[in-house]
Amino acid sequence: MARHSKLQKQVLVLYRHFLRAGRDKPGFVPRIRDEFRENAGIKKTDVMHIEYLFRRGQRQLEQLRDVNTKQLGSFSKPADKS
Amino acid sequence: MASVRVASRLLSKRVLPKTKAISTQYPVVDHEFDAVVVGAGGAGLRAAFGLSEAGFNTACVTKLFPTSTNVLSLGNMEEDDWRWHFYDTVKGSDWLGDQDAIHYMTEQAPAAVVELENFGMPFSRTEDGKIYQRAFGGQSLKFGKGGQAHRCCCVADRTGHSLLHTLYGRSLRYDTSYFVEYFALDLLMENGECKGVIALCMEDGSIHRFRAQNTVIATGGYGRTYFSCTSAHTSTGDGNAMVTRAGLPCQDLEFVQFHPTGIYGAGCLITEGCRGEGGILLNSEGERFMERYAPNAKDLASRDVVSRSMTIEIREGRGVGPEKDHVHLQLHHLPPQQLATRLPGISETAMIFAGVDVTKEPIPVLPTVHYNMGGIPTNYKGQVITHAEGKDKVVPGLYACGESACASVHGANRLGANSLLDLVVFGRACALTIAEEHKPGEKLSPLAPSAGEESVANMDKLRFANGSQRTSEIRLNMQKTMQAHAAVFRTGAVLKEGCVKMDAIYQTLDDIKTFDRGIVWNTDLVESLELQNLMLNAVQTINSAEQRKESRGAHAREDFKNRVDEYDYSKPLQGQEKVPYEQHWRKHTMSYVDPKTGKVTLEYRPVIDNSLDEQECAPVPPAIRSY
Repeated sequence: MARHSKLQKQVLVLYRHFLRAGRDKPGFVPRIRDEFRENAGIKKTDVMHIEYLFRRGQRQLEQLRDVNTKQLGSFSKPADKS
Repeated sequence: MASVRVASRLLSKRVLPKTKAISTQYPVVDHEFDAVVVGAGGAGLRAAFGLSEAGFNTACVTKLFPTSTNVLSLGNMEEDDWRWHFYDTVKGSDWLGDQDAIHYMTEQAPAAVVELENFGMPFSRTEDGKIYQRAFGGQSLKFGKGGQAHRCCCVADRTGHSLLHTLYGRSLRYDTSYFVEYFALDLLMENGECKGVIALCMEDGSIHRFRAQNTVIATGGYGRTYFSCTSAHTSTGDGNAMVTRAGLPCQDLEFVQFHPTGIYGAGCLITEGCRGEGGILLNSEGERFMERYAPNAKDLASRDVVSRSMTIEIREGRGVGPEKDHVHLQLHHLPPQQLATRLPGISETAMIFAGVDVTKEPIPVLPTVHYNMGGIPTNYKGQVITHAEGKDKVVPGLYACGESACASVHGANRLGANSLLDLVVFGRACALTIAEEHKPGEKLSPLAPSAGEESVANMDKLRFANGSQRTSEIRLNMQKTMQAHAAVFRTGAVLKEGCVKMDAIYQTLDDIKTFDRGIVWNTDLVESLELQNLMLNAVQTINSAEQRKESRGAHAREDFKNRVDEYDYSKPLQGQEKVPYEQHWRKHTMSYVDPKTGKVTLEYRPVIDNSLDEQECAPVPPAIRSY
C-alpha cells in the first residue's frame, strides 16, 4: 500500500485531535466521523480543496476545544412524503 | 412543505441516523456564556469588553469583522456645562426624548471622552495640547442663549472610524470570544425571557445556539430600507427584526434622520463637521439660503431643519445641476490648510465620489437617509422594555444599545455627534447594569431542546425558495417605495398609498426566488434573510409615519404642519386646557408586526419628562423649537 503523503498525515492527525476533543461532549463524534468520511472521497491531487478544508477544520477544532462549546445536536427536515 | 423536527435524542452519542427519510440536516452547536453581544460596532464592542472587564464570560456575535462595520458621525463630548448639552439634546429631540436617559448620557459625556482618550483615541489637538473641539449643528451655550457651542471633540473628520479601531484594539486585551461572520437569526425566547441567540455560521453553514443569561443587541440601524442612504449595505436592522419576531415592540421607527449633506448620486456622507468648520450651503442663485430658514444658527441648525430647507429650495426651483435636484456645499472659501488638516477625509471622498476638488468647486449634496432615531425601546439602564397596562415592564435577559436601541435620547431628531456618545455611554451602561443585576458564572435556566427550530425552518425555506421574484428585485421595490412615500416631507395620501404598496411588497416575500442552494458562504441566503429583516423595519416605519398626524423633529407632515402637544406651547399656558393623552402626539409609538401577514399594530407610550435628579439637572419643559 502506498505510504501516506504529508498532507494525508496532517489530516489524520487532525482527525485524531478532533476525536479526542469531542470525546466528552455529546453529539460531536458521529458528526466528526461523518464529515471526514464524506470528504475522504476528494482526490489526492485536489490540494487546494483539501487545504481549504484543513484550515477550516483547524478553526472548527479550536472552537470545539473551547470550554464554552457544550454539545452538538441537529435539526432535520424529513424528505417529502409525496 | 416539509416540516423541520428536532433530533429526538440530543444528548445521546448518536445523531439521528442518516436514513433515506431525512433530506436535510443542520448540525446545531450549543455554546454557553454569561453574556452574548450581537453586533461589533461601537456600542457592541464597548458592551462586550465592559462585560469582559467585569468578569463575565462574553461572546460577541457579528456578521462583519469588527473594524469593517459602519460607524459614521462625530463624537459630541463636551467639556463645559453638560446641562447646556442636556438642554440642546432635549430641544433637538423635539421633546420626544426621555429626559432621564438624556440626563444620564450628557452627564456621563465628559467622563466618556476621558475614557476614550485613555484608551488611546487620537483626538485632534489644539496648539497647547488640549483636545480640539468644533462647532456642530444644534449645539448652543447657556440653554440656547449664548450662541454656537464648540463642544464636539473629534479626530479630524473620521472620528467614528477612529473610535472603532480604538475600541477594537482595547477589546483585544480582554478575553471576549468573537464569533465573526456569524449571522444572528433570532432571539431564543422562553416565557417572555430572553435566553440567548441562534446564529448561522456563514463559513461552514452550521447553526449555533449561544445560551446566555444576558443578551445585548447592538446591531445598528436599517438605512438600507431606502434607495438612497449613507449607510453600508449591511445596515439591515437585524436586531429590530429579531425583537419584532419575538413579539416585542419597536419604538418610534417613523423618525428617520435625513442628513443634509449626502453626496448627490453616490449617497456617501459629507460630515456635518464641514459646516462646523465654516462650509455653507448654496442654491442656484448662489444664496446662502439657510440664513432665511434659521437666522441664528444658519447652516448649523438642527439636521431636520436643514434637510427640510434644502428640500423646499429644490422644490421651489432653486436647485442646482441639470435637473435642479440638489444643492451645493461650498468649502473653497476656507483656507486650504484648514481643509487639509481638519477635513482630509471628505476632501478625498468628494474627489472619489463626486469628482470635485473641494478647494475649487462646491460639492453637490442632497438630504440622504442617515440614522434611525427609533429602535428597540429601553430604559436609561439599557434594559429592553415593553409597555402594558400603563407601565413600563423590563424584558428579563435582554438589553440593547447603540443605534438599534431607543432609550430614547434622540427622540424625534438626533443632534449631530450625539450618536457616538450614545454608543459608548449606553454600551457601558448595559455592561454596568448586567454587572449590577447578575454575577459571572451564574447557572443558566433550562432551555427547550428544540429552541430556535422555527428560525432554522425559515432559513431552510429561504435556502430552497423557488418563487418568481429575485431578492434584489423585491429589495429594489421596497427601497424605491420607501424613498418615494416616506421621505423628508410626508403627506397623508402619499403615506397611505405607500402603506398599501409596502403591504403588497411584503406579500411578495412568499414568492421569493433564491439561486444558491449550498450552505457554505451562501450570500444569496444571507441577503434574503437581511431582506426579511428590512421588510419588517420598513412596514413599521411607514405605518407609524402614516398614523402620526403631526410634524415633530424629523417627521414632517405637509398636511399636519404643527406639533400636537398636550398644550399649545406657542401661546401662554395660562387658561389652556390640557389635551387628553389619546388626542395629542407627544408620545412614543410602539409598533408590532405579525411576521406571517405583515400586519402592523400600533400602541403608544408616554414620554419620560423627569430627569434622574431634579436638583442636579432640572428637566426642560416643552417649548417651541426654533433655531
